[in-house]
Amino acid sequence: MKMKKSPVIYLLPLLLMLMMTAACRKDLPQLNDPRDYVSANFNEVFDAFWTGMNNNYVFWNIDTVNWDQVYRTYKPLFAKLNVNDSNDVRKAYTYFKQMTAGLVDSHYDISFADTWLADSASVNPAFQRKIANPDFHPPISIFHFYDTIPRHYLSAGVRGFTNTPDKKQYVAVSGTINQNILYLFFSGFNLKTLFNTDTMNGVKRVEQYFFDNLAQRTDLKGVIIDVRGNGGGDLADLNFLLGKMTTRQLQFGYTRSKQGNGRLDYSPWAPAYVTPQPGAKAVTVPIVMLADAWSVSMAEMTTMAVKTMPNGHFVGERTWGANGPLTGNKFYNGGQFSTGWLNLVYTSSLMFKYKDGTIYEGVGFPPDITVPYNPAALKMGRDLQLEAALNLIH
Amino acid sequence: MKKHFLLFTIISLLTLSVRAQFEIGVSGGYVNNYVHTNAGYRAFTQYRQYSGFVAGLVLQYHVNDWLAVQADPSYIRKSYELRRDHFFDGIYQYNLNGYLQLPLMAHFSFGGEKLKGFLNAGGYGAYWISGRIKGAMSNVFSSTPDVPDNEQTSDYFRYNEAYRYDEKYTFDSRRDRRMEWGLVAGGGVEYLLQQRFRLFVEARYYYGLTDQQKNYMIDQVPRYNDTYVLQAGCLVNLHRLFHGDAE
Repeated sequence: MKMKKSPVIYLLPLLLMLMMTAACRKDLPQLNDPRDYVSANFNEVFDAFWTGMNNNYVFWNIDTVNWDQVYRTYKPLFAKLNVNDSNDVRKAYTYFKQMTAGLVDSHYDISFADTWLADSASVNPAFQRKIANPDFHPPISIFHFYDTIPRHYLSAGVRGFTNTPDKKQYVAVSGTINQNILYLFFSGFNLKTLFNTDTMNGVKRVEQYFFDNLAQRTDLKGVIIDVRGNGGGDLADLNFLLGKMTTRQLQFGYTRSKQGNGRLDYSPWAPAYVTPQPGAKAVTVPIVMLADAWSVSMAEMTTMAVKTMPNGHFVGERTWGANGPLTGNKFYNGGQFSTGWLNLVYTSSLMFKYKDGTIYEGVGFPPDITVPYNPAALKMGRDLQLEAALNLIH
Repeated sequence: MKKHFLLFTIISLLTLSVRAQFEIGVSGGYVNNYVHTNAGYRAFTQYRQYSGFVAGLVLQYHVNDWLAVQADPSYIRKSYELRRDHFFDGIYQYNLNGYLQLPLMAHFSFGGEKLKGFLNAGGYGAYWISGRIKGAMSNVFSSTPDVPDNEQTSDYFRYNEAYRYDEKYTFDSRRDRRMEWGLVAGGGVEYLLQQRFRLFVEARYYYGLTDQQKNYMIDQVPRYNDTYVLQAGCLVNLHRLFHGDAE
């Protein structure tokens, strides 16, 4: 008689097999905050920086830098350096420059905490690329906006400047050209803060002039907003300025942030828009943005927002190409960070995409009418970019 | 082509079904999925479990009275939640992931004639066919009215309004690994009704062995599905249904 086999003889090997394969999962790596690395040697200095970039940089989706290759190449090089040797510190500075040279983020900037690097410039890949470009030119002098334009072009108006406690200077000019074209220049985006001060200041006076004319004048033929040489600033100024010129919400792009530690872990795209402000007036006459290769960040976003208006135009040069908004790392789980050896790795918190689906980071936003920088004309007191804007309105 | 495949499948199943050893049925139930990963040093951010459902067919071929081979082609939702807390309370995302799954198991049964206990053990393959993301994030371009100097704020949405979304997940071929392999084990009880129908309830655990992401970066934090299922179903012995109890 044949003995019936017990199920146990089948179960036991099966369970054994299950237990063996259960060990097939990869271990979860321990990720540490870049601030927690002790900068006692260059191994730690490198790991802190490389990890911070690996988890916090928002442009891995479009960046061409192979960050794994950076690890394989530079990890052994840093391991040979001595953090207490000034020559090695200089060499490390060069490595930082090389590692980051191709990064697309055009806000990107590394400043160093090491005292041996106190006299060294921060590492700024976008700036290095600009100065290496054959089309590179210096920014238009602030005196052109403050002196030449009022003297040669404005029929009436005001100008002023304000120095802030953080040792920054903001310059603004507003007036009318040919009596009925309203012009505004400002050197940086801090308009809302300076306007809401209890006491009068130079920039506030200019803003007041511009807003009063915008609200009260019915004979305006056009508005020119000049952000040439404008390095950007406070995002709140977008609504503060353009929100007074539109009565409906104006979507002009999208932003997204990091969501996890993976290089490609992103949030969905959230709409970027201008929200009308109380007392807003729908400006229907042409609004012309004047921007150039030194128009950065908020100056570019403002240009993009105006460009989406049916009456919006952009005259000048392709902009700098730093479009991602910045805020503290904890708010959007990514962006800027610091380590014991690096004061700050200044990098965007969000990636920006224009309404047409194009990401202009590292590329710059192109004008409708290109008018190149012309130093000879500027020297003669002529502003060909401004004149092109005036022709467009006429 | 699709029609021919469907016809072939139906004929194969009917051919098998005329044999007494073959049973076919349906099952469905509740799913609780955990993603085995970690949020690293992301501030106030955690991955959490999220519920879903499973529905599918049950195919069972009996080798003898205590051993059968079972396959359950099914659709299963293996979802998870990413949530922030404290000042960032209200920021979250549900990742609702749909898989077509085929567990292949040895089915061991024991006990009496009508009421039996059973254990299932084996492996599975699953294909991540769809995804949906639903959640709320703060929108940097949606600023709220200024906070007065004498007022304090309770959450981040007081600065930037929430952007609420519910959209199809876009797969990224550089990152997403859509094929999943793993182990499965379960146990339950079944009740034989009128010699033709077998009703069962089962608790099952799926242990994913495949990272949801391809190996695309150094220091990658893997994500594995740990899936708990409570399901019920019914198997039919078609031979007995159409030909009575005679063998």
